Amino acid sequence: MILGIPFSDIVFYVVAAFMIVAAVVTVVSKNILQSAIFLIATFIATAIVYILLQAEFMAVAQVMVYAGGVVVFMIFAILLTSHLGEESFKVHLPRKFIAGAIAAAFLAIMGKFLIGQPELATATSNASAEASTFGAYALRLLSPGANGFLIPFELISLLLLMALVASVTIAKKDEDKEEK
Amino acid sequence: MYTPSNPNIVGDFVREWVPNLVAYLPATVQGYIPSAEIAALINVVICMVAMGVAGIGPVPVLIYMERKICAHIQCRLGPMRLGPHGVLQLAADIMKLLFKEVYAPKSVQTFLYYLAPILVVTAPFLNLCMIPFGKNLQVADLDIAIPFIIAVNGFGILSTMLAGWASNNKYSLISGMRSGAQLISYEVSFALVLLLIVMLAGSASLGGITESQSGNFWDWWIFKAPVLGLLAFVMFLISSTAELNRAPFDVAEAEQELTGGHHTEYTGMAFSMFYLAEYINLFTTCCVATVCFLGGYNAPCIGIAAVDGILNMVPGIVWFLAKAFFMVVVYMMFRWTFVRPRTDLLMALEWKFLLPVNLIMLVLGFVFVAFGLFLP
Repeated sequence: MILGIPFSDIVFYVVAAFMIVAAVVTVVSKNILQSAIFLIATFIATAIVYILLQAEFMAVAQVMVYAGGVVVFMIFAILLTSHLGEESFKVHLPRKFIAGAIAAAFLAIMGKFLIGQPELATATSNASAEASTFGAYALRLLSPGANGFLIPFELISLLLLMALVASVTIAKKDEDKEEK
Repeated sequence: MYTPSNPNIVGDFVREWVPNLVAYLPATVQGYIPSAEIAALINVVICMVAMGVAGIGPVPVLIYMERKICAHIQCRLGPMRLGPHGVLQLAADIMKLLFKEVYAPKSVQTFLYYLAPILVVTAPFLNLCMIPFGKNLQVADLDIAIPFIIAVNGFGILSTMLAGWASNNKYSLISGMRSGAQLISYEVSFALVLLLIVMLAGSASLGGITESQSGNFWDWWIFKAPVLGLLAFVMFLISSTAELNRAPFDVAEAEQELTGGHHTEYTGMAFSMFYLAEYINLFTTCCVATVCFLGGYNAPCIGIAAVDGILNMVPGIVWFLAKAFFMVVVYMMFRWTFVRPRTDLLMALEWKFLLPVNLIMLVLGFVFVAFGLFLP
């Protein structure tokens, strides 16, 4: 407790403020590589929020998949395409309007759910303390029971396999063309 | 509560003192500490200082070793002039780097240009927090340490590519692209080898992996799973050398081709950050190899009670550092023995050889675990 505020709350507000600033810079920045860097900053702040919620595996997965994987591939794409983002691009008004409408709708829905839950700040979790450990995650991911995620897990692996095969097909050189 | 089986002077001391450091302060000072959280933050600072010492401490030793081992492999003497056998050479180099001007080339993105050397040192220090140097001698024993190590290694890739792009230099950009492609590819087999160890040990925390190897020296994972452990160790050596961007996989720097690689344009302390990160990374990777394959802080007992008693009297941290520096020597011999492959051969090696072999080894590991094919 510092000045009557729980310490975890202070950490949350600092991280949330940083996250919002980084997210805004991501959208506003004219340099596309700088946007990508601030996107990573946003993801890392999200990971810290997961840690505050005691979901450590989620946090690590967030950093591994998004910061380490997805955004690095985006940066690859940015580096491979020359002169991208060097001159600022124009955003037409209708697009801006639609984007604003989507953002407002999202905010309204989030607000509706959050304001409807007055005990949100004081509520305790129903899950046991072991539920967020690595072993419990792994077992639930692979168990076919009521709380298990075996079928979605296998479906996603199938999807990834499809993506892998598709990327190999695209990247493969045409043998006929190579002979000529 | 877990009771250490061998004397563990350093770990027990740390275990007892660090959580209670505030209690040892004079009462008047304690009155100024407003809450338990502040006291916890003080501990965090202590841990950060400890990690700084553990990370930066070995670097001068490693750089000196690198120069001397390289020289002796090439039948030279290496630095000899400053101090006995050139031990002061490094101090002179550090002075030079400290007093060099740090400047950015014309028309670079200053923010990204200076962000890269800052980012590059984050991953090695974060990894170092997971390493158990001895029993209880560890900043955090996360049960997800292996996924954590794989995750934060992504920052290394990021900073390399950023440095390459932000330098506004063709050679740096090519180097950044090359090393980005290399690091992403080799991260896959690096992660798969570590996953194999997680599967064999039944734990993803580095403390748990070390505990799973307690006993005699043939209980270390390199020997305990016959042949498979040795294969996995070789795979780890190859993929981690590529992860470290060290020769023979240093296509990112490839001095003859790309001048200095992604840090060509950096000077002074900004350059030393890359240099520092390289050597801390080498040390952390050696520590991970020690934990995963060489039994961590466990003494190499040979099953004879009298000898084991003597071996167990040595604190775990001494065994740990001995094994870690043995690994350092292995990496250095590696560096000066093999020739550098071309970039496309490097990628072919990863995707067409290492990755399939690693996947087969994962299946083999499953067979080993299912049928219990371990040394007794």
